[in-house]
Amino acid sequence: MRTKLTLAVAGASLLIMAGAMPALAHHAFAAEFDANKPVRFEKATVTKMEWTNPHVWIHVDVAQPDGSKEAWAIEAGTPNVLFRRGFTKQALLPGAVIVIDGYRAKDGSHRANGRNLRLPDGRTLFLGSSGTGAPDELKVPTTPKSN
Amino acid sequence: MFLHNLMRWMADTRWSVDLHESRYAYSIVESIHVWTLCLFVGFAILLDLRLLGVTLKSVPMSQITTRILPWTKAAFVLMVISGLLLFFAIPLRTYHNVFFRLKAVLLILAALNAGVFHNGGMYRRLEEWDIASVTPRAAKLAGAFSLALWAAIVFSGRMIAYNWFDCESPQKSAFMDTIAGCDRTNQEVP
Repeated sequence: MRTKLTLAVAGASLLIMAGAMPALAHHAFAAEFDANKPVRFEKATVTKMEWTNPHVWIHVDVAQPDGSKEAWAIEAGTPNVLFRRGFTKQALLPGAVIVIDGYRAKDGSHRANGRNLRLPDGRTLFLGSSGTGAPDELKVPTTPKSN
Repeated sequence: MFLHNLMRWMADTRWSVDLHESRYAYSIVESIHVWTLCLFVGFAILLDLRLLGVTLKSVPMSQITTRILPWTKAAFVLMVISGLLLFFAIPLRTYHNVFFRLKAVLLILAALNAGVFHNGGMYRRLEEWDIASVTPRAAKLAGAFSLALWAAIVFSGRMIAYNWFDCESPQKSAFMDTIAGCDRTNQEVP
């Protein structure tokens, strides 16, 4: 009787833990970013790239219609993920003008989860960040595929 | 401020930069931290449940400590070293992270709990209750505190990844800023 009870409790705990696992498996997209708020920066000037684990951050100045600039920070994948896509620490130097697609931060700050990036020479890069996980994510208006 | 500057200095050291820029090292250290944490907490839970008199009741306490404590200690050492390396990779942000600060306080409490139990009279008089299936109140308390503290430590450790209360994030409340030690008058990102 006692054993059965223990087994039942252990089984229930495992189920609850299994249910909680996907949320714990990663620094979850939904905790910080809003999948319903895609953003696109047509003209973002790189100010700094933080080549760091667990997520690379690309800092840009975004030109505003009135001529002013807004500072934004774009989250990308890990250095390893970007490296495997042919990106390095020196790939984005301050002053480079790029196009960025991503999703805005939920807290209203000037941060976004980066999805795609287009370099001045037309090459595109999937930023490999946590993403929305939505199967039709790529249907959101985006940069053309170059490869 | 002294600690802030120390962390800032640490963040710029060659080893810290190499670690947080690394392609593999950071992930490997992170994995080692989680593996050894699983081992440590797993063994600690066995000890705690025996202290509570919930499981392994027919096994003398001294048998359990002789067999399990060395493994617990070994896992603990590796867990602490890998944890310190993770901190060393990203010192400044981590230092200002509220979940890290909570974790640090909980770790101190867990150390005090273990210290009081091991050096207090209860553990020294182990032979009196070594084979008792109903353990003394003090032993039960130590086991319960340990279980609760380590659950909270693992949770707060996991939460360090989230930037909700970071100094670079919009201010949530003056109170959280105080906890995080944020200086919002300073335009420079901490």
